[in-house]
Amino acid sequence: MNGTVVVTGAARGIGRVIAETLRDTGPFTVVGVDIAPELALSEGIVPVQIDLTASDGPEAVKAAVEETGLPLLGVVNNAGITRDARLINMTDADFSSVLTVNLGAAFRLAEALSPLIAPGGAIVNIASRAYLGNFGQYNYSMSKGGLVGMTRALAIDLAPHVRVNAIAPGLIASEMSLAIPDEIREKMIAAIPLGRMGEPQEIADAVWYLLSPQSAYITGHVLVIGGGRSLT
Amino acid sequence: MIGEIRIPEGVDAEAPALARGLVFWAKPGIETWDEAQAELTLAFELTRNSARNEHSSVYIVANDSLLGRRGPAEAMVAAGLLSAARTAAVEGWKKSWTANTVAFDDGQDPSLVLDRAVSLLEDGSITGELVHIGPGHIGKALA
Repeated sequence: MNGTVVVTGAARGIGRVIAETLRDTGPFTVVGVDIAPELALSEGIVPVQIDLTASDGPEAVKAAVEETGLPLLGVVNNAGITRDARLINMTDADFSSVLTVNLGAAFRLAEALSPLIAPGGAIVNIASRAYLGNFGQYNYSMSKGGLVGMTRALAIDLAPHVRVNAIAPGLIASEMSLAIPDEIREKMIAAIPLGRMGEPQEIADAVWYLLSPQSAYITGHVLVIGGGRSLT
Repeated sequence: MIGEIRIPEGVDAEAPALARGLVFWAKPGIETWDEAQAELTLAFELTRNSARNEHSSVYIVANDSLLGRRGPAEAMVAAGLLSAARTAAVEGWKKSWTANTVAFDDGQDPSLVLDRAVSLLEDGSITGELVHIGPGHIGKALA
């Protein structure tokens, strides 16, 4: 399993934990991609600081992968943003930016890197439980639903050599969820049967599993990690 | 606002008169990100307009697109619309407007598909649903 894995949105939050977990438990050479400069803070990760929505973004990542000289074994499309508002108040700019970052960048990167992925490799797309519908997130929900659709199509197109799956995290203790006002966050936690937020490490562990040979017969699947929130 | 029905080129169906609300039939044959982005953006603009008037919306997608059988770009549009409809449904319920999705199998009469969509639009009691026309979804993975 010695090869390269690309992780986008690797500078902070869940993406950083995913990148560091894959670096530590590989053996993988991790190419971390992010627009943010904090990327350089993670030791042992090949940093590619770039805007993935730029026209040359995917090609820059491709070049970094080729420079490692190792087979590409995995791509983790994790980069994402939120710009929440009720549909009636949502601006064109907020709609467009979320769609472009969360879905467009993932699509273009998958297009660029799919031909490089070695047989037995895998793609893991980090969607969100919001793909099932979530108040104030028309743009985000659409983008993550789109990512689920892309997962299904690529699972068919890239089989039998490359597997493609998605993870749909619920409320995870990341910068994104910690920005939610305390009172609202407490109400959200109260609706989770397991009674707590998830930890970024729990997402990273699932990513590792979906990249590993232990999940060799799983493709086109959406794994919801939300403490049972979809039941209540 | 009067009702709006978007029927893309290549779909042979006559638009019925619609007093209010939106029926948005997703364009077939989408292959690139630019095309997918344009389609999803148009759906957003029309749905926001409908919601601002407190009118309901229905999206129509091909079941094969939803299942990923027609490539990633078309799957992104179909599945993106389904998710967006669910979120719109959450937001519209207290305002008495609804949002639903119709998924049809190949070979279904487009006029029948359109009739079902208009029925959903006028119903008012069903929201956030994915309604299948044809048996193509049975035994398949969709959530």
